Amino acid sequence: MTADSPLDEMADGSGHARPHWRGLQAAIFSLGRGVLAERAAMLEQAFAEEGITAFLPGEQAVNWRCDPIPLPLSAAEFAQLEAGLGQRATLLEAILSDLYGPRDLLAEGVLPTDLVYGNPAFLRPCRNGFARADRHLMFYAADLLRGPDGQWRVLADRTGQASGIAYALENRRILSRVVPELFQAQKIQQLRPFLETTGEALQALSPADGAGVALLTGGHTDPLWFEHVMLARELSIGLVEGGDLTIRGGVVFLKTLRGLQRIGVLLRRQAGNRIDPLELAGASGTPGLLDAIRSGAVRVVNGPGAALVEAPGLAAFLPNLCRRLLNEDLLTPSQATLWLGEGAVVRTVLRDLEGWVIRPAVDGAAAPVLPTLLSTEDRAELAARIAANPARYAASVAPTPSVMPCVGPNGLEPKPVALRMFLSFDGTRWRALPGGLARALSEEDALAGRLPRNALSKDVWVLADESTAVQGVLGLATPALAIRRAAGDLPSRVADNFFWLGRYLERLEASARLQRATIARLLRPSPTPRELSEQQLLCACLSVGGMLPAEFAAMPGSTMVGAMVLRAFRQHGAMRSLLGDVSRQVDQLRDRLTGEMHAVLTRSLRVLGEEMRRLPADGDSRALEQASVLTADVLEFAAAVAGLAAENMVRGGGRLFLDFGRRVERAQAILQELAVVLDQPGAVNQPGRIEAGLRLALELRDSVITYRSRYLAVLQPAPALDLILADEGNPRGLAFQLLTARDLLREIVEDGDQLPAQIDPLLSEARAIVRDVLAARDQMVAAARLPDRLRALEAAIGVLSDRVSRRYFTLLPVARSVGMDADIRGAA
Amino acid sequence: MKYRVRHATHYAYGSAVELATHVVHLRPRPLPWQRVLSERIVTEPAAARRRDGLDHYDNLVTWLFLDLPHADFEVTAESVVEVAYPPPPPAETTPAWEAVVAAAQGPEGWREAEFRFESPMAEANADATAYAAASFPPGTPVLVGLLDLNRRIRTEFRFRAGVTGISTPVAQIIQKREGVCQDFSHLMISALRGIGLPARYVSGYIRTRPPPGQPRRQGADQSHAWVGCWLGPELGWIDLDPTNGLVVQDEHVVLGWGRDFGDVSPVRGIILGGGDHSLTVTVDLEPDDESH
Repeated sequence: MTADSPLDEMADGSGHARPHWRGLQAAIFSLGRGVLAERAAMLEQAFAEEGITAFLPGEQAVNWRCDPIPLPLSAAEFAQLEAGLGQRATLLEAILSDLYGPRDLLAEGVLPTDLVYGNPAFLRPCRNGFARADRHLMFYAADLLRGPDGQWRVLADRTGQASGIAYALENRRILSRVVPELFQAQKIQQLRPFLETTGEALQALSPADGAGVALLTGGHTDPLWFEHVMLARELSIGLVEGGDLTIRGGVVFLKTLRGLQRIGVLLRRQAGNRIDPLELAGASGTPGLLDAIRSGAVRVVNGPGAALVEAPGLAAFLPNLCRRLLNEDLLTPSQATLWLGEGAVVRTVLRDLEGWVIRPAVDGAAAPVLPTLLSTEDRAELAARIAANPARYAASVAPTPSVMPCVGPNGLEPKPVALRMFLSFDGTRWRALPGGLARALSEEDALAGRLPRNALSKDVWVLADESTAVQGVLGLATPALAIRRAAGDLPSRVADNFFWLGRYLERLEASARLQRATIARLLRPSPTPRELSEQQLLCACLSVGGMLPAEFAAMPGSTMVGAMVLRAFRQHGAMRSLLGDVSRQVDQLRDRLTGEMHAVLTRSLRVLGEEMRRLPADGDSRALEQASVLTADVLEFAAAVAGLAAENMVRGGGRLFLDFGRRVERAQAILQELAVVLDQPGAVNQPGRIEAGLRLALELRDSVITYRSRYLAVLQPAPALDLILADEGNPRGLAFQLLTARDLLREIVEDGDQLPAQIDPLLSEARAIVRDVLAARDQMVAAARLPDRLRALEAAIGVLSDRVSRRYFTLLPVARSVGMDADIRGAA
Repeated sequence: MKYRVRHATHYAYGSAVELATHVVHLRPRPLPWQRVLSERIVTEPAAARRRDGLDHYDNLVTWLFLDLPHADFEVTAESVVEVAYPPPPPAETTPAWEAVVAAAQGPEGWREAEFRFESPMAEANADATAYAAASFPPGTPVLVGLLDLNRRIRTEFRFRAGVTGISTPVAQIIQKREGVCQDFSHLMISALRGIGLPARYVSGYIRTRPPPGQPRRQGADQSHAWVGCWLGPELGWIDLDPTNGLVVQDEHVVLGWGRDFGDVSPVRGIILGGGDHSLTVTVDLEPDDESH
């Protein structure tokens, strides 16, 4: 083996499996190539079904991928890495505490000022007033490569957020389910104890008894949202966004439905410079959070300024800093790195650019540039940029990463591999997760992006020795349980999401019902006049609901109507956008839905979306029929969601708001449709048209059978309206919605609150409408005069819904900045 | 020279603000050449919580937290300050500017080095760098070059309020050749940093009425800003006011300094609610007559 050829993780120089690979290798061979390929496909499927995604910047989420073959580490090697990386974390902590404190390292010239003052991650507001004793780091991750000499070297230190641990857990969970044979071959260490220790350490940071611990996320648009949801779940802590928090008297509180709840510890997974708009850049975050940190009322880990030491150029100084600050030699070295701002080193690098990997000196998140992969012109351009500003660059010796087998289309293929390891500080010492996240590098793959994105990831095993707890096959996959709470603890934002999920789901269902009825009539070859008039009424309903342009509502029988109805299912159509609305709420509620419910919802939404995309073109005779099938599927979906909610969600909290949203939406839809079908010019003199309208209203409320069983075929306005508006036993009628909404409100509000009672006048009005029609001399005429009254009632329900929104969802308005814009601008 | 300073900032909100946090740099910074004889900050309504401290640059900073609904907010800072800047050294005797650049890169200039990097509101700009370079031929004593640059900005740029916005990019200032004190300061800072010299943004006031026989100064009645320039480890900092083409001596009062306006804005805050708001600022800097 020459010095340049990569190390083979599995086989030693003579082609034999290394000792820590033997069990695994035997299991791989006994599975055989065909089964492995099959399992690889099953793994992809499993990640897709669980909705586990990774994001490429600016692109759609892609499904996470995991190779069936894990990267095993012997217990001894792991212990060495844990010690080495623990030392690095201790060193980085010491550097941070100096740079955010006395800055001796700069005063003594040990560290160039460029890496600090020229580093956007140096957050000046974090320098003064922060308690000296408070650590900056509680989490640390390192990206490692193993060279031909067998030494693991760090390519990147991750101190800002140290992301990826949830992906490592998911890899383990799903791999053990899909390829259990591998786990029988080898005893490996469990991941769970590490999480438990970490959770306890977080809790121990809390400055006050009873104060909560929460993960601070940027929300569902964050590329690592999935990780945030899973990690919060695994650690049994809350998940909050900056806007969920408010600060009173220097203390941090979570805004919940029943008021403010104290937060003592925040696991920060939002960029450090975006957590407090008062003192840091950006408009996001919680104003006053830094002040709360300064006064010791809250602990934020990692500290907001911790990303400072991710600077790639820092690696050049670590060996020296380690001796100076810790009086030790660096145990796990960095990939040999030079900072080019010093003396003549830039000439050394430019003389042989292809032997190096180039990174910005202070941007740890930037993808490294491999000059060997650049064209001649691009390489010259890079060289010119470096020569013009050498201090802005760091160069690392181009690595030769070790290789290991991956399942490919042609069997096992050796691929270079990078390893990310995770550490947390338990209050006394740094501990490493006995596992990690490996990834197979492809040729063009950047060596150390924030996380493996589209790349193929791998589970990492740490073999058990006698002294460690062994992970048995059965002990593997403890499914994470969603944290469920009583209504009062629910963050206001989450309640708002549930409310809107309920409304959108109901709207989707109601629209599908309308469309189904419309399409059924459009499909009839030669419609009767009655069917035509029903079609017209249905189109009017669709148009009021935004599903059909108004001008087509008045054109029964036109061939155009079919195409226009279908438009709702096409791109930018109303049904598509409703589906999108539902998806968005489901996404935002990911942390609040059980895994099963989330999986069912996302899968069904995806299938419905695909069905809509596959709908034949307008001219195609099957298009309407297919659309009809599609509406049936939407109705089935809505029913399934309702069933799932009833079965899977604790009655309380989110479920109350989901149900309340549905009831309000349905109540409004009932009144809206009824107003449309009764609102027929001249109908006062044409009782037949009112009768047709009522018949349709019963159909849309799924109440035809009930009506017939009570009144046979005779259709009269008062009994029909009673069934739709006042019958408390009809689950599709108005009274039922209002009564249910009142019950829900009673559970939501505090005792003695007057809000639920505001539903009573609405109920009375519904009953009064029926009574008045019954008492009328001519019921048909009386019914024809109802639309305005129905619309007024609908509006009153809207007012009530707004009142609930205002009370529960928007405890505080949006934050705005003042002062920066105007103060000095006046004149001078 | 002894001055009385009064700086009032009044926000009138369209509707009640429910929660507000403000961070203010309104207390004059004590310096060897600036004695702060008294100072106080008063707010209306009173803040529910107030904290005083030092920022990263050792400026005095005050945090104000209001958590009751209010339709108006006024913060008034009053102080009595005695200033006597040391006279500038003879320009010809100052070190060559290249030596100052080198010192800012070495350990002896580790503190000052902070002010040689571009910052959010004083970004690097090739035109600004070239503009500065014209005042610094090789070997020029640093203060000779600085005074020349200060004079050129005063004469070649037009003072004009209202043409520049929230944070006008240096590129626009150098191109349009007009702006206000904040813009000229950012321009000069960017230009000096472009050739490697540390430069910092100084926030403060200039006396409302000029000394007898002198023209009225630009930037009076308002917050003012100028530029701190480094002359090397022996001579330290000197302040130049490019808006008025002055060497800062006894007409200015210093509040504090930073890399640019963003580090030392006198009053900035985050409000919740409030609708539209209007802002009135008044500044008075009068010689304290009792001392004469």
